[in-house]
Amino acid sequence: MAGKEKAGAALASGQNKKSASQRLIKDIKRDWILYLLLLPGLLSLILFKIGPVGGMIIAFEKFSAFQGVFGSEWVWFDNFKKIFSDPYIPKVVINTIILAILTVVVVFPIPIIFSLFLNEVRLKWVRSTVQSLSFLPYFISAAVMVSILYTILSPSSGMVNNLIRSLGGEPINFMAKPGWFRPLYVILEIWQTFGYSAVIYIAAMMNIDPSLYEAAEVDGANRWDKILRITLPCISTSIIVMLIISVGNIFTVNLDRILLMYNSSIYDTADVIQTYVYRMAFESKGFPDYSYGTAVNILKSVIAFVLVTAVNKAADKFSETRLF
Amino acid sequence: MRKKMLSVILTAAVVGTMVSGCGSKAAPQGGSGSAGQTEAGDNSFTMFMRSTYVGWIKELKWYDVAEANTGIHVEYVEGPDAFSDVYAEVDQRIISKTLPDAVMTKLTQTNVYGPQGAFVDLAPYIKKYAPNLQKYIDDNPDYATLVTDDKGAIYGLVKEAPVFTDYLGYRVDHLEKAGVDVDSIKTVNDFTEAMRTLKAFYGKDNPNYYPLEGRENPIRFAAWFGCPSNISAEESNGIYVGHQKDGSLDIMDEKAYTMVETMKTWYDEGLINPEFAANTRTEGDWEAAMINGNGTFEYDFYNRAEWFMANGGKDADPDFQMGVMNMFQDENGNVMKGTTGCKYVEECVTAVNAQCSEEKIKTILTFIDYFYTEEGKILANYGVEGESFKTESDGSKTFIVDYATEEATPEGEKRWSFLSDRFTVCKPVDNEAFFAWNSPLIAEAAERINTEENLMKAYNVKYTVEQTEELSNLVATVFDAEIAGIVAFVTGNKEFNADTWKAFQDEMNSLGLSRIEEIQLEAYQATYAK
Repeated sequence: MAGKEKAGAALASGQNKKSASQRLIKDIKRDWILYLLLLPGLLSLILFKIGPVGGMIIAFEKFSAFQGVFGSEWVWFDNFKKIFSDPYIPKVVINTIILAILTVVVVFPIPIIFSLFLNEVRLKWVRSTVQSLSFLPYFISAAVMVSILYTILSPSSGMVNNLIRSLGGEPINFMAKPGWFRPLYVILEIWQTFGYSAVIYIAAMMNIDPSLYEAAEVDGANRWDKILRITLPCISTSIIVMLIISVGNIFTVNLDRILLMYNSSIYDTADVIQTYVYRMAFESKGFPDYSYGTAVNILKSVIAFVLVTAVNKAADKFSETRLF
Repeated sequence: MRKKMLSVILTAAVVGTMVSGCGSKAAPQGGSGSAGQTEAGDNSFTMFMRSTYVGWIKELKWYDVAEANTGIHVEYVEGPDAFSDVYAEVDQRIISKTLPDAVMTKLTQTNVYGPQGAFVDLAPYIKKYAPNLQKYIDDNPDYATLVTDDKGAIYGLVKEAPVFTDYLGYRVDHLEKAGVDVDSIKTVNDFTEAMRTLKAFYGKDNPNYYPLEGRENPIRFAAWFGCPSNISAEESNGIYVGHQKDGSLDIMDEKAYTMVETMKTWYDEGLINPEFAANTRTEGDWEAAMINGNGTFEYDFYNRAEWFMANGGKDADPDFQMGVMNMFQDENGNVMKGTTGCKYVEECVTAVNAQCSEEKIKTILTFIDYFYTEEGKILANYGVEGESFKTESDGSKTFIVDYATEEATPEGEKRWSFLSDRFTVCKPVDNEAFFAWNSPLIAEAAERINTEENLMKAYNVKYTVEQTEELSNLVATVFDAEIAGIVAFVTGNKEFNADTWKAFQDEMNSLGLSRIEEIQLEAYQATYAK
């Protein structure tokens, strides 16, 4: 009996599969223009996103550019073993984690707060002007941004140190103080990204049913009440999705910005996994170790994947919202 | 129907654009046998090179004469400007099989990729087609050792360079006005005292004045204190590989403690620019400070004093006059020798694509060989007789074109120039001609300073592939950590005393400094045992 049921289930599954593929073919025939338009995106994904992931196999090799991925010597997990015996790795991992946590904890709430306040501005032209202006820094390159920072903070001629001097203080070489690196990095991150992130929250706020606000007003709710009890809960899904994405990027610090900012004085705080990998693979005085650099990056990606999955599960459990 | 047509065209355009960047057919160069090659036997070849060098080559009058004399034309393929990017592009070109006929690379790359088959073993072809180069190799066993592997193969030709140390340039007018006699500055302590006098004189009205100015890495004074990295058959101290001259330091030497202590004093008393001490001083800021009178001393590339005279100088201040100081002495009157670069620059190597035909290899080697002939050597070091130099009655050669006028020629225009520290082609260097081709200020300083008594000899050490790989990883960690630690002590970011210094030394050893020294010693012994 049980065998019959299993056979029946297998048949049904086979029929389902068949019907699914038949349905797909039917769909393609019917909406071939739409599928045609999907093709470039799909190709791009395969060629430039999924395909290159295969190159990560060099982490298990002693990669030689001449011998290529398929001709290089296979060393199995030697590069990964090396990571755990590298005395410098703990330092760069700690620096990366601190920077990542600061980025999530400090940077993440700013666009939410900004968009909540911006949503309360009554004059439309003020709101749209502020939104546009806040969005602009997103298009400024890291090089320009760091140059501006250097100019503003220059110990001899920067406006910040001029102010300190005029108040009777001693100029501070901010760019050479290890303690200042993280705050400056975070400030640049906020400056560059808060306008962009705010757009997503503002878009979510646009979809809130106005009758909710009207009902709240009838009930005597003030502005704070409306923000806390209507706006914030209504955009919570967007907030959670953005949080999951942020956690996924937790180890992806802005390498360009750090390379432009860092110098010998601040290595103690500024040397992170990416700068270390960059030195190994590209700035090597001798022979570049692409394989080791890739192994470190794989490990980093695995940890990020685990974190994203955990946050996704937690979000599902506590707020019934999940990204995947 | 129109919608369907539009969709098809749009999709085709997007896909076409997307895949157009894939593949290597777009690359206009490749060794003989691949797309875009120069024809074998057409007396020309392509060469990948750092873009700055290509720019310089195109301005050289003597280079044009060399091409005319050999009848061989080189088509340069410009690479990036940063050295690390140049070598990364060599890797990419190897992967994508778009190497030109010849390539500027570094010895560590030829040592790895040569035996694997990327580059031609030039040894048999040199014997066959480059007799003058062969003679040079035979006459210079240190060169032969460096470029030849244990099987007798030569995968890359290393550039020879003039040997010099950094010079301590100073504002002559500053010292005169402040009442400091330059001849009284013999030791580093005298130098510190002179800087105090200058700070009191110029710093009282100018908060931006610091007697000692500089750029980027401030760890460049080890030779003044007698603690640069060094190597011999018995011992290897400090990171020597790649840092024979710049960044040379042996932190295990007790004099290194004195160096940091003294630099800290300079920093605390405002004698050294704090941005320079913190490694945040850019080249432009340093140059502006020297020209504007915000600095008096600079310890940098040998001809920088002349650069300041030519770029600012009297226009910035009618009294502006640079000078070059003598080498420092220790308390017993012994000269503190300056660190020098190696005679052979392992980062400027010419290799030949293994896909080249024998005819193409012959063309490349014939061109290079010309610079090892008597005619080629004179051309590359002095130019053309009657046009750029004349021969004196005693047989010596004198330039008849003016250094300052020629070097001031606008960028992109042809000029006579004999700055052999720049990479053009692999060729022997005439040190006398190199220093004679300078302003009187630098030529005089070179004659005074460039003596055996004043210069530390730098050694090219040959490493095995395994040693190179291990050293690369270790140096990538330790060198930066070492500089960071010292800068932290000097700038006060980290407390400096005997205990913290000892902890710093231990930390560097735990990161791999002692292992670096071990590898260096093994390699030195293997290189020079031959």
